[in-house]
Amino acid sequence: MQYDKIIGEAVKEVLYRGKFQNGLEVFFLPKKGYIKKFALFATKFGSNDLVFNRLHDTKVIEVPEGIAHFLEHKMFESQEGNVFDKFAPLGASVNAYTNFNVTAYYFTATNNFYENLKLLISFVQNPYFTDENVEKEKGIITQEIKMYQDNPQWKVFFNLLKAMYHKHPVRIDIAGTEESINRITKEDLYQCYNTFYHPSNMVLFIAGDLEKDKLFNEIEMSFDDQGSKEISSIVRHYPAEATHVKNSLVEEKMIVSTPLFYLGYKEKEIPYDHTNFLKHEAIIRVLLDMVFGRSSDLYEDLYQKGLIDQSFNFDYVRELDYGHSIINGNSRDPHKVKETINNWILNRKKIGLKEEDFIRIKRKQIGENISFYNSIEYIGNSFVGYHFKGLNFMDYLQALKEVTYQDIHQSFINHFSEDLQVLSVINP
Amino acid sequence: MELISEKILKGTHLHTITVDKFKTNSLNIYFQQPLVPQEVTYNALLPMIMQRGCQEYKDARLIAKELEYLYGANLIGDISKKGEKHIILFTLTTIALDYLEEPKLMDSALNLMKEVLFRPLIDEGGFDKDYFNQEVSNLESKIKGRVNNKNQYALDRCIEEMCRDENYRLYEYGRLEDLKAINPMKLYNHYEKIINNSPIDIVMVGSMKHQEAKDYIIKKLHLKDRNIEGVSFPEMIAAKEDLNEVSEDMDISQGKLILGYRTQISYQAPLYPALLLYSSILGGGAHSKLFLKVREERSLCYYIYSKVDKFKSIMLISCGIDVAKAEETKAVIADELNEMRLGNITQEEIDNGKEAIITAIQALGDNSNSLAEYTYSQIVGDFYLSPEELANKIRAVSLNDILEVASSIKLDTTYLLGTSKN
Repeated sequence: MQYDKIIGEAVKEVLYRGKFQNGLEVFFLPKKGYIKKFALFATKFGSNDLVFNRLHDTKVIEVPEGIAHFLEHKMFESQEGNVFDKFAPLGASVNAYTNFNVTAYYFTATNNFYENLKLLISFVQNPYFTDENVEKEKGIITQEIKMYQDNPQWKVFFNLLKAMYHKHPVRIDIAGTEESINRITKEDLYQCYNTFYHPSNMVLFIAGDLEKDKLFNEIEMSFDDQGSKEISSIVRHYPAEATHVKNSLVEEKMIVSTPLFYLGYKEKEIPYDHTNFLKHEAIIRVLLDMVFGRSSDLYEDLYQKGLIDQSFNFDYVRELDYGHSIINGNSRDPHKVKETINNWILNRKKIGLKEEDFIRIKRKQIGENISFYNSIEYIGNSFVGYHFKGLNFMDYLQALKEVTYQDIHQSFINHFSEDLQVLSVINP
Repeated sequence: MELISEKILKGTHLHTITVDKFKTNSLNIYFQQPLVPQEVTYNALLPMIMQRGCQEYKDARLIAKELEYLYGANLIGDISKKGEKHIILFTLTTIALDYLEEPKLMDSALNLMKEVLFRPLIDEGGFDKDYFNQEVSNLESKIKGRVNNKNQYALDRCIEEMCRDENYRLYEYGRLEDLKAINPMKLYNHYEKIINNSPIDIVMVGSMKHQEAKDYIIKKLHLKDRNIEGVSFPEMIAAKEDLNEVSEDMDISQGKLILGYRTQISYQAPLYPALLLYSSILGGGAHSKLFLKVREERSLCYYIYSKVDKFKSIMLISCGIDVAKAEETKAVIADELNEMRLGNITQEEIDNGKEAIITAIQALGDNSNSLAEYTYSQIVGDFYLSPEELANKIRAVSLNDILEVASSIKLDTTYLLGTSKN
C-alpha cells in the first residue's frame, strides 16, 4: 500500500497516511518509547444519523433513536460468542464509544499487537445479530440509560440541547430512550450496519512504537481476505433547524446539593472551507478562555461573590451542521450568574477585550495543544473526530498560531448574543 | 523505567524517573499526614486556601495569569486518602523545553510553586480572612455535593458503614461539623505543623537527571532540613461476625449495590499479588466472571466490577441495578464467589486475568501521572516493588494461591442505595 507523510513540526510528530482501494483511510502515528499501542477503528455514524438513504437508492430510511449506540453494543457479539473473550487472552483492553457523529472501536495493548489488530478489524467487519441477542441487550442498555438519568451532569447538558435545538437530532439522547430501544430489531441493525460500516465511511488510526512498513503490510493482508464491497455514498437527512433557540430557559429538580447550570450560546451556520473552519474553532476557544478563564476579571468577580466554584468550566463544539459554546458549573444562584455574565459582556463590548490577555491565553492554549500529544488515546480520538469533518487535527496548532487579536475582537461582538442564549438548571 | 530515590534533606526524599518521551515535565510534592477526625477537615481546606494567593502572587487571578503565560503550566493541589494516611499533593506540569523557545520556563514555574507552598498570604497570624471564608464555604458545598455523583456516593457510604469504628470511614474532604470551629489562625497553625513536620516526597517525571534535579529543586524551592513526625498504618481488621446490611432510601432511577469484603491480606503479604489476580478474575473487566454472569447472561446491570483497596485490605464490588432485583443480584454474586472458593476457575480465566493486570502495569509507563502515582503508592507503604517486579509476581501466582485468597475473603457489609417505590 502507498502511504504519504504529514509532518507536525511544532509538536515533533510525523503522521503516515495510506488509502485502500475499498476507500478506507489508515493513519499511523509513531510513538518512540511508548509501551502501549493503540488502534481505533471508527465509522462516521453517530446518534445524529437517524434518517438517510444511499446515493443510488431513493428509499429514505428512518431508524429508532439510539440505534448507533445499540449497534455498537451488538458488534461485541460474534457467531463464536463474546468478542471480549477473544481479546482477553491477548491482554488487550478493548472497548467502544458512540457520540453524536462517530462510533469507534478501539483497543490498547502492550503485547500481541498484530493479533489484536487483526481481531479488531475482523470483529468490526463481521456483524452477528439474532432476535435473541438483540432482545438480551435491551435489559443492559435500559440499565445504562437509567444510570445516565441519575447523573445530574448528563441531565443538565441534554436539557440544554433540547432547549437550544428545535429539530436537529443533537437534541436526542445518544443512547435513545427505553421506549425507542425497545423498538429496535435485528433488521434495523443490519440496515444501519450495511449503510455505515462500509470501509469508505470508516477510518483506522494506530499509534505506538511500531515499524511502519510492517504495519501497513499487515493491515493490507487483514483486508485482503475480505471481498471488496461497492462504494456508495450516503445521504444524511437533517430537518431544517431554525437559527433562534427553542427555549431560553429549562429547569428540572433532581437529588443534588446545590443547583447545576449549563449556559449555552447557539451558533449560526459558518461557511465551510478547510482553512477557516479550524481557525474559527481556535478563535472561539481563545475567546471563551479570555472571557471565562481563571485569569479573567469576570471569573474573579463571580468567584469572589460565591456565585461559582472550582467546577466552573467552558467548552466549544463545532460540527459541520451545528455548533454551540457552553459555560457550566455549580451555583447557588444560576440566574444571577447569567445576569452577571450578560452585564459584563454588554459592558465589555463597548470597551473591547485586552490585547495582553489575548497574547497570554494564546500561549496557554499552544502549550495545552502540545501536551495533548502525550496521550495516544486522546490524539486518536481527536484525530478521528476531525477527520470525519474533513480536517486534520495536526493542523490545529498552526490555525491557533494564526489567530490575531483582530479576529478575537470581531468574534466577541458576534458570538455572545443574548437571543441565542439558553440556560439549563438542575435544582435541588 | 529507572527510578532513583534519595533522601536529599532531613525529612525530604526525591524520587526521579528520567524519561524523554513526554511533551511535559511533572513535579509532584506529597505531604503525608495521619487520617484522623480532628485534622481531616484542616487537611482538606489547606490546598484550597493555598491556591488562593501567596506573597508574590496575591490572588488566584495573578497565579492563573502566571501559569497561562508559562504556556499553560498547571499547578494543582488536592487531597486523597491512602489507607489511614491523608495525603496532600501539589502537582506542577510544564511543557518540556524541547518544544518551546523559553529557557526560563522551568525557573519561573518552580518559583510560583515555591510561593504557593511556602510563602502563603498571612494576615495577623492567620490566613487571609476573605479567602478563608470563601474557601470554607466552598468546602461546605463540596462535602454536601458528595450526593451528586451517585456511584461514588454509594462507594463512600459503604466504606463509612463498613469501617465505622476506624478512621478510614472519614471522607477525605472532611466533616461539616468541623467547619464552624475552624478559624484562619488555627488553620495557619496546622499549615505550619505540616510544612515543618510532615514527611515530604517529591516525585519528578521528566527529562531531567536525578543529580541535576536534586540541586535545582532544593535551590528553587528553598527546601531545608526538617524534623519529621512519622505516620503509620493501623492493624488490619477482620470481618464482623454478623453481616452488616445497610440500605438507604433515595429517589433515583437506578439502584446502587455495593458489597464490602475484608480480605485479611496486607499489601506487603506474599499473597497480595494473588489477591489482585483474584479480583481481576472475579470482577476486573469484560473478561471477568461477574461481567459475564451478571451482565451478559442475566442482563441485570450495565456495569459491575470489583476492586481491591490496597492499603485497607478490603475488596469492594459495585454495580448499578434495578432495586427490585437486589436480592437476585446478591445471590448471583455470592454464587460466583463460591465458584472461586470451590476452585471452579479455568486456566484460561487465570491467564486472561494475568494478562489484563500485566498490561495495565506495563501501560503505567506511558503516562507521567500514573508513573508518579504508582511510585508514590510504593513509597507511602514503605514497600517498594517496581512495575516489572509486580508483573513477575503476578505471572508466578498459582491456582492454589488464588484458592488461599478465596478462603480468606469474607463479606462484611452490603449497602444498597435507591428506592423500591417505583
